[in-house]
Amino acid sequence: MKYVKWTFYTLIALTVFGFLHYVLPQHDIVRITDTDTRRIDFGENSIFWASPDAGTATAPAQVTRDVKFIETIRPNGRPMVYRNEDTGWIWPPYFKFDSYNLQTEASDLRSTSADPRWVVVTHYGWRNEFFTIFPNAVDVRLADGPDERIIPWANIVILTLLAVAGIMLRRMWLQFRERMLDPVFSNAGEAWDDAGDRAGAARRGARTSWGRFKAWLRSLGG
Amino acid sequence: MIAFLRLAVIGFVVLTVVYWLISLYSRSLRREALEKRWDEGEGDAAGGRDAYIEAGMRAYERGLRRRLIGLVYIVPAVVVMLLIWLNNYS
Repeated sequence: MKYVKWTFYTLIALTVFGFLHYVLPQHDIVRITDTDTRRIDFGENSIFWASPDAGTATAPAQVTRDVKFIETIRPNGRPMVYRNEDTGWIWPPYFKFDSYNLQTEASDLRSTSADPRWVVVTHYGWRNEFFTIFPNAVDVRLADGPDERIIPWANIVILTLLAVAGIMLRRMWLQFRERMLDPVFSNAGEAWDDAGDRAGAARRGARTSWGRFKAWLRSLGG
Repeated sequence: MIAFLRLAVIGFVVLTVVYWLISLYSRSLRREALEKRWDEGEGDAAGGRDAYIEAGMRAYERGLRRRLIGLVYIVPAVVVMLLIWLNNYS
């Protein structure tokens, strides 16, 4: 039973981590070799592609579309290919509408291996060869050099806000339980509690909410 | 345009749920604080404990703190506009 529980928790933690890793912005320093547009026929990998450009027609079951790509080489010499799609008003909430402008900027920043111009690409998503999926570039700018140190402010802010929201939700739930559920269920359970249940008596005796909460915690333990 | 309307409608529904949850929570905190204050012998109202708490809750309903919960609607809208500007025009 213990293993089932921990497997379950591990799966949830991995799912949350994977979700955030996919959706949150990341920065790569790369050299752009080329930019182009290809037609893509979406198959089982379709959830890893964005929707059609904001404002353009959306066919009921659109399975083919031209997609802009940015082809790059990392400082370690290995390739990285980004797609460049609008996220529009839909998920994930980057509200990116300027994919054509971004493509133009990326084309302008092209360079050769003989004379590299290093570029910071902000992106979300994953590159996976087995599913033919590409991270979506959100922004490009010239880097100071291949070793520029980038502080991920957006991620710091977003993860802090998520943590605050989580703590807030927990406190709301505890308050709800203490004020709404406990009175109801402690009345119903009084008859049993009185049969020598120390925790139940201590809990009713406790005056403050914190005392009641601690007593409740103790009653869980014993 | 349809996509924008969908975002607006879904956003409004979600934020309304958040608004409702935070209002309940905030009201509950205030009521608990009032109860404690009375039990510690601080307040004195003619009608006793219940009257004291009800008067406190009426003051809360008119107060700034309750109105600030309206920021639940305003802040996300501002954030969306800021993101649009940051990701497209800067």
